[in-house]
Amino acid sequence: MIDLTKKAGFGLASRHRAEQRFQWAGRSAIAISLMFLAIMVGSIAITASGTLRQSQIAVQVDLSAENVDPADPASASYGRLIKSGLRDMFPDVTSRRDKKALYNLVSPEGSFEVARKVAKNPELLGGVQTLWLTASDDLDLYLRGKIDITLPEKQRQISDAEVVWIDSLQANDQLRRIANWNFLTGGDSREPEIAGILSALVGSFYSLAVCFALSFPIGIGAAIYLEEFAPANRLSDLIEVNINNLAAVPSIVFGLLGLAIFLGYMGLPRSSPLVGGMVLALMTLPTIIIAARAALRSVPPSFKEGALALGASPVQAVFHHVFPVAMPGMLTGAIIGMAQALGETAPLLMIGMVAFIVDIPDSILEPATALPVQIFLWADSPERAFTEKTAAAIIVLLIFLISMNLIAILLRRKLETRF
Amino acid sequence: MEHEHIVKKFDKNLEKIKATIVEMGELVGIQVNDATAVLSSYDAAEVERITSYDRIINGLNKDIHDRAEILIVRRQPMALDLRKTLAPINISGELERIGDHAKSTAKRAHIIHNAPPEAATLDMIAQMSVIAQAMLDNVIIAYENADIDLAASVRAQDKDVDALYKQTVQTVIETLSKTPENAESLIHITLIARNFERIGDHICNIARYVHQIVTGEDLKASAGPSDLRLEK
Amino acid sequence: MIDPIITARGVDIFYDTNQAIFDVDLDILPNKVTAFIGPSGCGKSTFLRAINRMNDLIPICRVTGEMKIAGQDIYDPAVDVVALRAQVGMVFQKPNPFPKSIFENVAYGLKIHKITESKTELQDRVEWSLRSAGLWAEVADRLDQPGNSLSGGQQQRLCIARAIAVKPKVILMDEPCSALDPIATAVVEELIDNLRKDYTIVIVTHSMQQAARVSQRTAFFHLGTLVEFGDTKSIFTNPADERTQNYITGRIG
Repeated sequence: MIDLTKKAGFGLASRHRAEQRFQWAGRSAIAISLMFLAIMVGSIAITASGTLRQSQIAVQVDLSAENVDPADPASASYGRLIKSGLRDMFPDVTSRRDKKALYNLVSPEGSFEVARKVAKNPELLGGVQTLWLTASDDLDLYLRGKIDITLPEKQRQISDAEVVWIDSLQANDQLRRIANWNFLTGGDSREPEIAGILSALVGSFYSLAVCFALSFPIGIGAAIYLEEFAPANRLSDLIEVNINNLAAVPSIVFGLLGLAIFLGYMGLPRSSPLVGGMVLALMTLPTIIIAARAALRSVPPSFKEGALALGASPVQAVFHHVFPVAMPGMLTGAIIGMAQALGETAPLLMIGMVAFIVDIPDSILEPATALPVQIFLWADSPERAFTEKTAAAIIVLLIFLISMNLIAILLRRKLETRF
Repeated sequence: MEHEHIVKKFDKNLEKIKATIVEMGELVGIQVNDATAVLSSYDAAEVERITSYDRIINGLNKDIHDRAEILIVRRQPMALDLRKTLAPINISGELERIGDHAKSTAKRAHIIHNAPPEAATLDMIAQMSVIAQAMLDNVIIAYENADIDLAASVRAQDKDVDALYKQTVQTVIETLSKTPENAESLIHITLIARNFERIGDHICNIARYVHQIVTGEDLKASAGPSDLRLEK
Repeated sequence: MIDPIITARGVDIFYDTNQAIFDVDLDILPNKVTAFIGPSGCGKSTFLRAINRMNDLIPICRVTGEMKIAGQDIYDPAVDVVALRAQVGMVFQKPNPFPKSIFENVAYGLKIHKITESKTELQDRVEWSLRSAGLWAEVADRLDQPGNSLSGGQQQRLCIARAIAVKPKVILMDEPCSALDPIATAVVEELIDNLRKDYTIVIVTHSMQQAARVSQRTAFFHLGTLVEFGDTKSIFTNPADERTQNYITGRIG
């Protein structure tokens, strides 16, 4: 009689144990990686949460006609008006040092804010208005309890006097915290409280668009030619080896190439997304070509054979039959390349996208910066508030990456169903 | 000359059919011999035995038919194999009829015994039987060895059987007119002689089938147009 | 005597330095089914693919000798291989419908060769092809379904419909039934018999019984040479060459 139970021999016990060990090794590896991932993303997210809200302070600003010329509102010195407004709120502040501390409650951006509000709503002119202005980064940190009051005054950003004023402002509901949309709609700034990521986002977007527009058609075309049409000789082998090597070249080398040729020889605008995109395209071309060739190779040759036997010319056979079937794989390769390009800093630094860009670029020829570069710049700043902005920018970058991957997955699924 | 089949069973199946034919041929030969012997030394039990043995011969005929059928279904024989499969069906049919003629001869023995014919007539019939048995032995050997020359010589021998038959009929006609009261036994003698003549013809047919197995040529059919295109 | 539509004289085929076909002379008669039989590796598929120059796809493959279709040497540099393949269609061993709809599969050849001029003409021709292939009744209500949603036998008939849509003179079939079950095989064999009226068919097959059933002329290839070529009936009942006899009866040596 055959014994099918475990006691049957065949070294079953130790084999099953080995299976279990391997399975547990795999599971724990996944668990550990997920844990580290959670810790990393979690800690960044917690740091970034500080930028979710913005502190604002209510200031009485006298916008009557003697201060602001209704015909030319832009010429008024709103900074002075803010300062006088603050003094009116705290009349017993007299010493120079105290006044300086008082003005420190409002962000230096405040005067521009008032100007923008007046330009948008001219009916504010003609009287004393209570305007909500952005608080300074120190005030914001204090309101979130990030400033240690137990330290001696010299060792902290907020003086004792300021603490008193802040408490009274709070008692009078003249302080509030609102959602910080400015982060996503504003450009970079020296002041961390109003620094925004939009210019970097737009710069990254333009650079990627240029990169995609250049690398995708050229990469796909090169892959199709090399895989389907090029004769199998030494030259083709040489080209293939070189493309594989290029994929491993450090990205900063492409930056140097861009600097020398695009900026130096061709004289294209420095720091522009056009040049940034071109450099990134050079970098991602090998990746796209390699992925596209693999996708083409995976197409069963029976389709091409069937088309050729029917009398299709080689170009027709490839473009009508091989290319559509390889498209999902090619797209995946392209998105991987794009995701790689999105996170690259070194080549962009070389072509000058490290500049401090405040304005949102309008076209691909204007100077811009990119998300990873922005993160790099902010990480360099000593102010405490920039730490949080850096973390927030990293989160935005991650979201960008994830959405790109999601698009890739959706596109792939849509194209694959036809096969 | 011939190689073996890749599937060994195929060769075995064909061999078995051949062996059965050989067995059948031997048995039929014995029947013819015994039927001739019982004409001169009548024994009722012997006649009974010969009659019952005919069933064995019929059984072998059926056996060959069945084997050929299964071979066709299983192996889809082509060319030479096909001829080797189909011909035995015909050959065993001829052998079976030879067996029937032997049985018929044995059954007429008691009539002959009651009214014996002239010695000369019986002698002629005995001669026919000897020739026929020799022909049968040779044709079976020819079949076993695919020997078309031997088969041709067997066909040539049939002339002798036919000549003896004519002689016998002539003698019977003469005797009938002289002694009409022996009509019954004389008629049976004629029928017995006819049996042997027919046995000779059947053996000739077997020889033709042997020729057909080897060459694919049907000696009986008239030469038709050599156009062998498949008709639709 | 009817003129042959394909004539081969002294055809040699090489793969690099290995010779696969040795000095083959062959005549294919029009509107007949000619079968190529022989053991694996005997070169029958190689020779078949030389007729529509599919061997061109293999860089190391070289064909010498004369191969004429309707009097024209197809290896002449002046011959356009695309035009050749529009006249000589091919059906492969494993059904290979394109990953498109059933309609698009049949219409593809018509489109690239610009055979039809209007949309209705295209639709009519597609219907005619599917009817000729005996597939219309089964797919008329789902022409927009993908070609590979059909069963194996239907897919092969779709490939046949695709090939006959362009009305070629010759249809080459490389073991068309070897991937099909017996019933699908029988349907395809019946189809081949019907197509014979309008097309010349050359079929490579491993099955002797199929060759015997389907063809009127049979060529037996062995180790790259054409051993025997003649009427199917005599090849299978009384072949002249001992090698042919050994192959068709399944004898080694």
